[in-house]
Amino acid sequence: MERLIKLGQDMVLLWQNYSSGYLSGIRSTLILAVVATVIGCIIGLICGVLNTIPYAKNDPLPKRFVLKLIRVLVRVYVEVFRGTPMVLQAVFIYYGLPYFTSNTVQWPSVWAAAILVVSVNTGAYMAESVRGGIISIDPGQTEGAKAIGMTHVQTMLSVILPQALRNIMPQIGNNFIINVKDTSVMFIITFTEFFAFHRYITGVNNMYFPSAAIEMIGYLTMTLIASILLRWIEKWMDGSDSYDLVQVDPLTMTAGTYSHPDRGTPFDERSKENRERIRQELKFGRNRGDR
Amino acid sequence: MGEKILEIRHLSKNFGTNHVLRDIDFTVDKGDVISIIGASGSGKSTLLRCINLLETPTSGEILYHGQNVVGRGVNAAAYRSHVGMVFQSFNLFNNMTVLENCMVGQIKVLKKHKEEARAHAMEYLEKVGMAPYINAKPRQISGGQKQRVAIARALAMDPEVLLFDEPTSALDPEMVGEVLSVMQALANEGMTMLVVTHEMAFARDVSTHVVYMNQGVICEEGPPSQVFGNPQRQETQDFLARFRKN
Repeated sequence: MERLIKLGQDMVLLWQNYSSGYLSGIRSTLILAVVATVIGCIIGLICGVLNTIPYAKNDPLPKRFVLKLIRVLVRVYVEVFRGTPMVLQAVFIYYGLPYFTSNTVQWPSVWAAAILVVSVNTGAYMAESVRGGIISIDPGQTEGAKAIGMTHVQTMLSVILPQALRNIMPQIGNNFIINVKDTSVMFIITFTEFFAFHRYITGVNNMYFPSAAIEMIGYLTMTLIASILLRWIEKWMDGSDSYDLVQVDPLTMTAGTYSHPDRGTPFDERSKENRERIRQELKFGRNRGDR
Repeated sequence: MGEKILEIRHLSKNFGTNHVLRDIDFTVDKGDVISIIGASGSGKSTLLRCINLLETPTSGEILYHGQNVVGRGVNAAAYRSHVGMVFQSFNLFNNMTVLENCMVGQIKVLKKHKEEARAHAMEYLEKVGMAPYINAKPRQISGGQKQRVAIARALAMDPEVLLFDEPTSALDPEMVGEVLSVMQALANEGMTMLVVTHEMAFARDVSTHVVYMNQGVICEEGPPSQVFGNPQRQETQDFLARFRKN
């Protein structure tokens, strides 16, 4: 118990003295994670789309060759960046550039290098997610688009990708949360984000554990907020469950028609109507069939 | 009859060693309502999908206004925009509302202005009785309603021919009527239609020409009165007898 109190006191002490440092660390972490996730998603989207361009056996040879080559290149990219630790990629990219150019070319800033490493990494993971998202869309959607004369690009942009993007939203969220945490390895190239500040603190005093506790709370807060925001975005993308009738449909009975199969019917105990009725009953009492 | 729109010549389709279509020949004139009937697996749907180039024919020609559309160097997308298709499983775009479904093709393919596309889409949505539902998403409407929207989507492209691939087979019995009545209205207006169907009453009463397919070949064809009233081939008689019993 005293341990906990001591820990709490130390954390407060640390926070009072270094809060600006922690906060600027959080800021750097979040900026890096957001920017890299966005760029990574774009890379993944491009790779995923390139990977799913269909070709038939009777297509001309150059077309087949180019498409095959693209697939191989994307595959190599995905395997290399998915299969090596990000911390090593950072070392290779940040220190590799001056090393291989005998110090003539340097990175303009550590930010550029960090964003590149994290985006390229995210892109490698997203490429496969996007490919999965695209092939999970019912082929009927593609046929429907083709049947009204859309080209492959038009079909992709207006029909398949919007649906695929919705389906891979949880994956994008996953990657963002992973990025928030994994950007901590960027201390290796002297990038000063949230975790790098913890290393600095432990260098100037011996409050290793209180600082780590602050870091834990900080990371958890960031990822929890991110989770909530992502759920909101998903809900927003799904749109409203209800819609307005503009006028009466002359061909079908609208009575008994419900907007969504999940909503059930008035005879269904789980329906919205029933829940509403029960709520009203609890509030105002039962108004019929009650003795 | 009127001008020829489609002419199918010696069309064959193999899936591996399986010959699904063998040497199919027939023409579609303007104003024709052709019903293609036959048992499941007789190649009816494959024929329709070949005509819309969703399947590549193994051999043979499809002439659209005298021009072959099979093979390399043909702009399949441009051809398809003149030939509408209605699918058994509707294939409405799930990410769009009913109205957007009917507008997207006009805007992207025909390069129409948004307002113009909207007015045109509304015209056809009213015709199929779906105007009240323009703000609904496909997941929110019933099967029959989806199929009516799919018909409006195809019509909004102003196609010369409309292909129907078993449009009522995925519907509950009580919804078949609303779709058939829309199709009948179209036929009465002189729309050129090619309908793969199991609705024998529709084939008999609405179409101008009936094609009976059996095991990948056209077994018998002619006006409905002849094919239904006085079938010449034994296979046709057997097939129709099964329907009479039910």
